[in-house]
Amino acid sequence: MQWHKYILTFVITAAIFVTAFFIANKFDSQRVADIRATQEAVSINILSLETQFDLLGSLSCSTISDNPVLSDELNTLAARLSVAEENLGHDNAEVVSLKKQYSLLEIKDYLLMQEISDKCAKFKPVYILYFYSNQGDCADCAKMGDVFTYLRQTYPGLRVYSFDYHLDLSALRTLIALRKINESKGLPAFAVNTKAPVYGFKTLQEMQKLIPELKTLATSTPIQ
Amino acid sequence: MDAGALGLYVCLFIALYFEVFLMVSFFEKRPSKKDSSLPEYYPMVSMLVPCFNEEKTLAGTIESLLAMHYPKDKLEIVVIDDGSRDNTAAIAREYARKYPAQVSFLQKENGGKYTALNLGIEHSRGEIIGCLDADSFAAQDALMEAVKTFGNDHTAMAITPAMQVYKPRKMLELMQSVEYTFGIFYKKMFDNLSAINVLPGPFSMYKREVFDKIGMFKHAHNTEDMEIAFRMHANNLRIVNAHTAYVYTTVPNTVRSLLKQRTRWSQGFLQNARDYKYMFFKRKYGNFGMLVLPFALSAFISGIYAALYVGYRFLSIGAERVIDRFTTGVPLTLPHLEKIDWFFLNTGTMSFVIASVITLTLVAIWIGSTIAKTRLGPKAFLAYFAFFGLLAPLWLIRAAWGAALARESAWR
Repeated sequence: MQWHKYILTFVITAAIFVTAFFIANKFDSQRVADIRATQEAVSINILSLETQFDLLGSLSCSTISDNPVLSDELNTLAARLSVAEENLGHDNAEVVSLKKQYSLLEIKDYLLMQEISDKCAKFKPVYILYFYSNQGDCADCAKMGDVFTYLRQTYPGLRVYSFDYHLDLSALRTLIALRKINESKGLPAFAVNTKAPVYGFKTLQEMQKLIPELKTLATSTPIQ
Repeated sequence: MDAGALGLYVCLFIALYFEVFLMVSFFEKRPSKKDSSLPEYYPMVSMLVPCFNEEKTLAGTIESLLAMHYPKDKLEIVVIDDGSRDNTAAIAREYARKYPAQVSFLQKENGGKYTALNLGIEHSRGEIIGCLDADSFAAQDALMEAVKTFGNDHTAMAITPAMQVYKPRKMLELMQSVEYTFGIFYKKMFDNLSAINVLPGPFSMYKREVFDKIGMFKHAHNTEDMEIAFRMHANNLRIVNAHTAYVYTTVPNTVRSLLKQRTRWSQGFLQNARDYKYMFFKRKYGNFGMLVLPFALSAFISGIYAALYVGYRFLSIGAERVIDRFTTGVPLTLPHLEKIDWFFLNTGTMSFVIASVITLTLVAIWIGSTIAKTRLGPKAFLAYFAFFGLLAPLWLIRAAWGAALARESAWR
């Protein structure tokens, strides 16, 4: 018996496993770095627009397009954050930190958009504040997320701001208080524009009835 | 990580361990290249051709034996008809009439392949007994190469060839051509480890004294070629691989016939492993008892486990999608092409481990094709990677079921 060969093989096999683990970790770190870089870019863009707003007192409404802020970038971030959360776990410190940053960017985008819509009559945004939980206390949140993802893809002009209800972030807590979102009524919860919050899962068809404003938005793909 | 995924990691570790072990063996002792030297001694060789309903391929098999580069007076061909119901006997009889000095014909009631082989051994004169299934064809120098191997290694009591698929054309044949090429590599590595686990029907050669020492072929759950290898290891008789002796075999080209053949092989392994369970993890049986038998059994279990787990995951995700479709009203859509960037690729640890297993498999196939000079095109690799993983679990599950019920699988 050549025991050394059995041991050598074990060492090589274990080394391959360890290498695979490290490469996978490297990719995860790269993902986190990628999200951070995108968030920084979004942050700079928001800051730039805010500064522009402050400088001019009121931005010329004629220069504002249908999507004045960063809906695409935020949507991309949401998809990437979701992958990172799936790979690293929702309670991973890095993921929680990224989510906080993302939520802050969403709130800033939301505020800026409201400011623009107040000053420019031609700009009539349709937006949804969506509150979910992934702590096992919201069985319908994944399905609701699917509906919102589909709506986002179908109506590029629709702005969906999604927030982890349990995220420990004071700005988020204030937003929750301002929009009178009550967890005890059950998650998922969402508020369309300035309307009162709606609780519980809603199908795509129910959502389309709940948001008649969707008809005013252009679609990216035919509606089925 | 859920328990199911953990189990999959264990399966992958076993597969990777085995592949690395074979690679280490390869770098320790690389297969020699074919040379043009001649044997120092030409023993009398009896080639047995057991057949049952082989009218389509028998003539080709006999012709390939007659064309062998070997002294005619040292080679006898014994065709044994195991009660065929087609034209097999007439073809064999015709060859015996045409080549009376070389071809002899025996006929018996149908009793199974092992009975045909035993009859052939009893009625043959060879110092070396060779077997060639009637659906296989040996290269002209295969016998010379086998005899040279016996001459170079006096401890060798039996020899296996390098087996390739005969003219693969259909997808299933191409799939098996890759599998057989991989087999050429691992058979040679098993030889390095003195742990060859089967003496296949196409062109295995035995010294006659093997049968004197350990007895004749047995029914052995319709896998007499496997059982005799187990029995030889149990009696410390060495089996060597003659990687330069090429033999070409026809393979099943329908899913049904492939499943039937592989179920027989797999079930035969399980039942023989049960009969020889005392050899597992026993140092006295060397790498055969310590590595090959335990690995083969764990590969069997891993294959079933991995297939069931992956199948379950696919089905549950698919079912979830369909249920979501009905409960959310969101139409099923294909992923957006613009979203396919590295960020969304699965780069988990398991992906890289699977990539390592596939890479080592490809290296092994490449070495196998270098040894046997086989040419494998992209279509063959496509067939192998597309179908083997889908089909293998089916015969493994059927074999496990058959072995559990102790139901005998059919030879034909």
